[in-house]
Amino acid sequence: MAVAIVQRQPISRVAPIAWLIAPALLLFVLFFALPFGVMAVMSFFSGNPVSNPNAVLTTRHYERFIYDSAGIYHDALWATLRIGLITTVISLLIGYPLAHWMARMQSRLGHALVLMAVIAPMLTGIVVRTFAWMTILQDKGVINTMLMQWGLIEKPLPLMYNEFGTVVALVHIYVPFMVLTLTGVIGRIDERLEQAARSLGAGRLRAFVEVTLPLSLPGILAGSLLVFALSISAYVTPSLMGGTNVLTLPMLIAQQVGTSFNPNFAGALGIILLLVSLVIVVAYNKILTRLSGEQGLA
Amino acid sequence: MSAALNKRPFDGGRAAYLALNGALLVFLLAPIAIVVVFALNPVPYISFPPIGVTLRWFEKFFAGSDFMNALWLSLWTASCVLVLSILIGGACALALDRGNLPGRAVATSFFMSPLMLPAILTGLALFQSYLLIGIGRPVWGLILAHTLIAVPYVLRTTLAVLHNFDRRIEEAAAVLGANPTRVFSEVTLPLIRPGVFAGGVFAFIVSFDQFPVSLFLVQPKAETLPVVLFNYMKFDLDGAIAAASMVSILLALSVVLALERLIGLKAYVKL
Repeated sequence: MAVAIVQRQPISRVAPIAWLIAPALLLFVLFFALPFGVMAVMSFFSGNPVSNPNAVLTTRHYERFIYDSAGIYHDALWATLRIGLITTVISLLIGYPLAHWMARMQSRLGHALVLMAVIAPMLTGIVVRTFAWMTILQDKGVINTMLMQWGLIEKPLPLMYNEFGTVVALVHIYVPFMVLTLTGVIGRIDERLEQAARSLGAGRLRAFVEVTLPLSLPGILAGSLLVFALSISAYVTPSLMGGTNVLTLPMLIAQQVGTSFNPNFAGALGIILLLVSLVIVVAYNKILTRLSGEQGLA
Repeated sequence: MSAALNKRPFDGGRAAYLALNGALLVFLLAPIAIVVVFALNPVPYISFPPIGVTLRWFEKFFAGSDFMNALWLSLWTASCVLVLSILIGGACALALDRGNLPGRAVATSFFMSPLMLPAILTGLALFQSYLLIGIGRPVWGLILAHTLIAVPYVLRTTLAVLHNFDRRIEEAAAVLGANPTRVFSEVTLPLIRPGVFAGGVFAFIVSFDQFPVSLFLVQPKAETLPVVLFNYMKFDLDGAIAAASMVSILLALSVVLALERLIGLKAYVKL
């Protein structure tokens, strides 16, 4: 969701209005850049170096994660990435048709209504939407009750307190981001390209697969990146939908702060999560530039 | 060309395409509808189908001091964030668009980056910093943390408006004798106001629904509404949560309508 900016003619002199950037800069340096630095430094200390004079420099928080003697940290990292990946793929599969429909819709009213339907869940908090999925998927929830009343199943299906329920709720929460990212890109693809392919004899499916789909690749990558980044950092949904059967990195971080009160180890876990997201962002951007370069879409 | 295609008596592919999209819309909206059902269902646990209509959960929600304190804290925080992010974000957008700053693209990505980094880490980093300097968890710390997350939204909508701005209108006002202050207050400000306000409305919602940033920054006895709901849901799932959810949804809905009136949803989504 980058902002498109048209570069104006470069004029060497900085205008006085540039001073208006000061409040934002102050806020972002003091409450964003600096705190992330603090987190990185704290992750190498054994305690709070200001209040505790015995706190020493150490790499033991990272060693604890790397050697993983408790046998949970690697699993948590793997579960986080797995849930993020599955959520992203499903969001893409169900987000694409919706985005395509929206981008190609002729009626203005229809477009506005679908847009409203996509945005309304986005404006409903994460906690509220997770609650909604709990009422739907739990043992006495909507789906199990209905299936049992119709006599289709004997006992409730395990739809919740596992990765399945977590992924369903995460997809619901993050698919609007995918749809909005994709709609913009698909909407900019000239529809006549597809029509040209079809008039040259390609079937509807082939025209889509060979023309529209490749041209929408930048949107697919940007949307996937966004959904992946959001879902690997989700905390509310995995902890409520997954119960005790799902443990992700953000849940571990919250545990370290809340119950174990080891903010330094939480910081190390935070840095690991940050590095993982950064590596993915950079790798994705590389792929994105290469693919769009190949198609001359820069 | 497309007319020729429409002549087919029944287009199976098209029907499947529409059915699929209809199903996806149901998937998106059904959970919200179900919350409404549970908010009105009198049974004290989650059960389906509903057996009646009651307002007792709304009474429980509005009578519970925990819920009410949390609601007020959330509303107060979100209101402060609305004002602060409009001022800071609006000013920042003007500076970025017109300041001829070197490294403008880098600066813009820097100010947008809270949206791309895991929000729970922003909360954790701020928590660590507050802990390090020993200031505890003040409300102003929470408000500034939310402002940080909200500024990118204001920035985005305001930059979009500034990008489409016709500078000649300002030049015309200046030629006609308005001094720079008057040009700004009577021409520039009214023209960018929809963008700034749309971003501000979004900032309000982002703060009101904010969970990951708040998680580590609220005090145990003074939590925001999403945190209170989350803690309540870990032990109890009754209609009070659904009623609280309804209140949030109604608030969100009124905001969508306000957005639509202020700037038009289409304009917002193009960003």
